[in-house]
Amino acid sequence: MHKISLVAFKTKHKGKVAEILGGVNLHNRLMNMGIYKGREVTKLSHIGLRGPVVIKSGRSILALGHGMAEKIMIEIE
Amino acid sequence: MIKKIYLIGNPNVGKSVVFSRLTGVQAISSNYPGTTVEITKGYLRLGDERIEVVDLPGTYSLEPTSSAEEAAVSLLGEYPKNEIVVINILDSTNLERNLLLTLQLIEAGFPILLSLNMCDDAAHKGISIDIKKLQGILNVPVVPTCAVTGTGIRLLIERIKEATSIKRGELGHEERWKEIGRIIEQVQHLEHRHHSLREVLEDASVRPLTGLIMAAVVIYVSFKIVRFVGESIINKVTDPLFFNFYQPALEKMAFYWQGKGFLFHLFIGDLINGKIDFKQSLGMLTTAPYIEFGMVLPYVVSFYFILSLLEDIGYLPRLAILLDNILHRLGLHGYAIIPVLLGFGCNVPGILSSRVLESKRERFIASTIISIGVPCVPLQAMIFGLLGRFGGFYVGGVYLVLFILVLTLGFILNSILPGFSPEFLLEIPPYRFPPLDMLVKKLYFRIKGFLMEAVPVVLIGVMVINILLYFKVLDIVTGLSAPVVNGLFGLPKEAIVALAIGFLRKDVAIGLLMPLGLSVKQLFIAATLLAISFPCAATFIVLWKELGLKDLIRSTLMMIIVSIIVGTALNFLILR
Repeated sequence: MHKISLVAFKTKHKGKVAEILGGVNLHNRLMNMGIYKGREVTKLSHIGLRGPVVIKSGRSILALGHGMAEKIMIEIE
Repeated sequence: MIKKIYLIGNPNVGKSVVFSRLTGVQAISSNYPGTTVEITKGYLRLGDERIEVVDLPGTYSLEPTSSAEEAAVSLLGEYPKNEIVVINILDSTNLERNLLLTLQLIEAGFPILLSLNMCDDAAHKGISIDIKKLQGILNVPVVPTCAVTGTGIRLLIERIKEATSIKRGELGHEERWKEIGRIIEQVQHLEHRHHSLREVLEDASVRPLTGLIMAAVVIYVSFKIVRFVGESIINKVTDPLFFNFYQPALEKMAFYWQGKGFLFHLFIGDLINGKIDFKQSLGMLTTAPYIEFGMVLPYVVSFYFILSLLEDIGYLPRLAILLDNILHRLGLHGYAIIPVLLGFGCNVPGILSSRVLESKRERFIASTIISIGVPCVPLQAMIFGLLGRFGGFYVGGVYLVLFILVLTLGFILNSILPGFSPEFLLEIPPYRFPPLDMLVKKLYFRIKGFLMEAVPVVLIGVMVINILLYFKVLDIVTGLSAPVVNGLFGLPKEAIVALAIGFLRKDVAIGLLMPLGLSVKQLFIAATLLAISFPCAATFIVLWKELGLKDLIRSTLMMIIVSIIVGTALNFLILR
């Protein structure tokens, strides 16, 4: 299994969260919104020039700051 | 015996709409997370009892991650659990995410009942929820509601007494999500629907290229509509009323009054060529009402109409995504666009809503930027009224100066303040189309708020000024300030009165400039200075409350320094 960050992950693709780098605080914030290890997410868009990443998880659409998206690793084959 | 009812739920599930339905107290609701930053209270009649209902800011979890969430959670602990009822409001179109808070509330032992809100929206999207089954699994009363139309509210009130706390073991984070997954599988049934136009638009507005095009169109069209509606109200309604009806009546009165005494001066003011001039007479019955109703109110109506529409549709969070980049350079993140936009209406709600930002550093930057560089509607209306006749160049110029100031200040503050700008994690709501009556209600509520606040202050302001002018008290002040006002800014020394009155209200302040016969350049400088210098008293008090005394002083010092620099620079360098 191979991991890449949500920023590098391709738009319009679906993948499972492999790991969340970063501290407890980030873990908790993401956990409260339903993003945790093993959760399936779809990347909808990425605003260039270090802009935010937009993902879909369940029925929620979430926008994450660039730095935060860099810390979310996605499983790829 | 129930002492209090708390409304709690995730952000943007319609808590404030349910609150209004329960208590009759109108609360502002919008389609974005974080509309309610203050705690609102009202009363519900239940049989013979009158119970206080508290509308809490939205929270995703009982483990808070922002100050608004913290406020919500800490309030829940104020009363013993057996004396309160918690109404947990959920978004039926996103049951899964909403159930986290529900499980936490049940585990913590709160007596709760669930209001599955937006049930009509869920039906539209092909989502059906088995209410009986959900009730059976959770063991708490569940009522489907649609607060916007009022469906289910009566049943919700009837079942408040059934809320009891039940025992349920506490789960770990991930187990809780797994449990939620199991519940969803049993109670929720999805019907496959094709992509609707709404979903295509939702998607397009968050992609880089199509998003920017949509943003440009939305902003341009909004601006055009605000101007068009504002001008139409002035030309078709308020000006005819003032000039065809009010002025002749007042002049008749002035004719019989004849006397030139103090009271005549106070109420009517000076006659210009033997006639009342609403822009120059400066009386409590002439200029005061004309400024508020004839110049400012039309734009208040048009601005809040567009803002309310954009809020309710749910466009603003999408704008936040697109602007995140730029705002990061200023030490903020994209969501700061919400306080900034509200600040364009009135700085007070703008600064209050900066509570949606996480850190104190961000809130300081946002509040300072708003009070210096974001002109409120009354101020803008007056700038249009005064500078508009010299062409768009000058009006645009004021905005350009303010825009450059905001960028520069934000950039400087971001580099000198310790700390960093946090990242945002934001839920993007679906587009919704509010029923017209909700929109009208919200507009009415905001306009009423504006009038209640503005009218007394304007009257008092004009009265104070008239008394001071009549007894020639101001000559001393104008003489003292002449070196700065005249020497540095190139304004006549009487302009200090207007600048000082800006502390009361900006619109009256600009009104005071009208009789001075200023040149375009002087008007430009005075209007810009009024925008960036001291905030009005109401904003000042909110800044104090939100930032504390120390930061208020820092913020104020910056305003004074910036005003002097900008005023002097405009006078000597740019507009020679």
